[in-house]
Amino acid sequence: MKLLSISLRNLRIRMVATVLTTTSIVVATALYAAILVMTHQTEQRYKGSIGGYQAVVGPKDASQLELVLNTIFNVGEAPGLFPLQVCSDLRSGRIASRRSQVRYAIPQARGDSVSRYNFPVIATIDEMFSLYEWQRAPLRFAAGGPFPWSYADLERFATALAAHENGVRAGEPAPPPRPLLVPEWKKAVVGARVARLLGLSLGGRITPVHGRMGEFGYHEHPEAECEVVGILAPTNSPLDTTIFLPMGLHYLISGHEGGSFVVPLPPGKNPDDVKHLPVEPMQLALTAVLVDPKDHFGARILRQEFASRDAQVAWPQDVVPKFLQQIGNAADALTVIAWLVLLVASVSITVAIYNTMNERRREIAIMRSLGARRLQILTIIVGEAALLSCFGAVLGVAACHAATFGLRNVVEDMTGVYLDWLQFSRWELWLVLGVTGIGALAGLLPAVKGSLTQVADNLAQNY
Amino acid sequence: MIRLRDVRKSYRQGAGEVLACAVHHLEVQQGEQVALVGRSGSGKTTLLHILAGILRPDAGEVEVVGQRLDRLGEAARDRHRGRHVGLVYQTFNLLQPFTALENVLLGALFGRGAGGDAKHRAEALLAQVGLGDRLHHRPSELSVGQVQRVAICRALVNDPELILMDEPLGNQDRATGGQVLDLLLRLAHDGGKTVVMVTHDPASAARMQRTVDLATLRGPGGAP
Repeated sequence: MKLLSISLRNLRIRMVATVLTTTSIVVATALYAAILVMTHQTEQRYKGSIGGYQAVVGPKDASQLELVLNTIFNVGEAPGLFPLQVCSDLRSGRIASRRSQVRYAIPQARGDSVSRYNFPVIATIDEMFSLYEWQRAPLRFAAGGPFPWSYADLERFATALAAHENGVRAGEPAPPPRPLLVPEWKKAVVGARVARLLGLSLGGRITPVHGRMGEFGYHEHPEAECEVVGILAPTNSPLDTTIFLPMGLHYLISGHEGGSFVVPLPPGKNPDDVKHLPVEPMQLALTAVLVDPKDHFGARILRQEFASRDAQVAWPQDVVPKFLQQIGNAADALTVIAWLVLLVASVSITVAIYNTMNERRREIAIMRSLGARRLQILTIIVGEAALLSCFGAVLGVAACHAATFGLRNVVEDMTGVYLDWLQFSRWELWLVLGVTGIGALAGLLPAVKGSLTQVADNLAQNY
Repeated sequence: MIRLRDVRKSYRQGAGEVLACAVHHLEVQQGEQVALVGRSGSGKTTLLHILAGILRPDAGEVEVVGQRLDRLGEAARDRHRGRHVGLVYQTFNLLQPFTALENVLLGALFGRGAGGDAKHRAEALLAQVGLGDRLHHRPSELSVGQVQRVAICRALVNDPELILMDEPLGNQDRATGGQVLDLLLRLAHDGGKTVVMVTHDPASAARMQRTVDLATLRGPGGAP
């Protein structure tokens, strides 16, 4: 028998009070742990998804945060469209000096999703799998490989599509044919989590949905049903929940015709007139271009040159820390609330144990008569508070992980961060120890009162 | 074993003081069994608490098991009580949430320690008093006589040199009480222990080797 087993027994005797007080500790700890899980994992994922001098080029009128969140983290809708010319200029060195300061410039177009999970669909080119770097290394495949759709294919496709579009707009009786949606283009590369949740393997089929399933105006694209040709290795980043398709497929999906080209509105014309203006192949609409300017010097040039263009360049390594700072500020406010809840819970421990001291005077006097020192009585009562807090803290951390499990899809939709509910960190151990320590402190006042119990008076009381 | 000289203990009551206990001289030898008698309010329980080290006298010398308790601090007296003194009360003072075995082990925990063979000692003692099959029963599940025997085991678990009893048979019928007292005195005698028992009951006092009336301890003129 040990002093703590007496503490434990005392808690069991007062089960109702123990459960109620523990509940308040559980709530406080779970709240605090949830804030830490959210901020830590968000920071981890966001910081892990940016690196080097990688930049995102997007439409001028979007906010940089919106552009980065949508392009890198799949959050929200694409903020707008801009012409392929920007990408072409980047690749040819007309932007970022004439000394070819760009390692890669990979065009993207998005707007569709797949399945009830709303996995975002990104139309891109094969360089996404050969040049693009995630954490300073090209994407790895767990199975299969990339689809064969190069930038040259895109340029040829843009030319053919523009010729067809111009024929239609000019009202020609026999306009050049629209590029055919050939089976070779119906190929998809999927992220690791997409494959896992949809049970996809190589050769599996997926059907893109326009918009997001369940939202107003969404519809399936059965004509664009794709075969899975590659499954990416897990990255624990938004890439895991992404589906990549060849760009040609994206533009030929029915319903995307209207948004295929970005034509500037001439002065004096109204927006409806744009539909009848001729288009250029280089006006093919993109939602983003991923750019790697090679080095710091190239990054500076890119920044300067984009100041005067229709598109803009956003730097995840600049935008994300600011975003995390904002999240951090919100988290700080929530942390204060969590501390207040913990404070109230600690006071409730003090009150709950303090209120039992009168009825326990005889019990304490008996233990003292058996030779228990005041310090041992103090230890027993502080032990009760510490045990109660420790149970509450452990349950609180467990509740936090359970909540993470339950809310991970909602959080992912809102922030693009997939919360790993099984990820335990060292700070959780510190949190449990900290809450236990605070609880022990809360038990000090009743413990001092208990240890000062007069032995002779309280033994005689019941004679 | 016990030596008291010029001991006084008073309590504050309002503006004045009430003399609760006064002993001019008292000596008890090792292995002796002494009944302490006296009228109600004569300070018998106070004297027992002084012998146990629960109370410290205002004045005088108190030597118990070779230790001057009047010179010790509270923690040292607690430690001394835990190791050298076994207490049995009229109301038994068992802790209700704990089983018979655990109540006995509590005595060990605050005495010589609940580690090592304490559990075996506790089980052996309970078996010796006929409670071998009641180890895991709570006090509320035991008869009065059984509870009394658990209390005796708790007093003996640290193998103390001195056993102090405060009206140990007060709550029982004479026959049951007599059996329990016989048991305790036999165990004490076998272990060579000193026993001091406070009692109102002349029959119980008669079972002891010596009876001391507290009134006679106050010294000439009734005061030390």
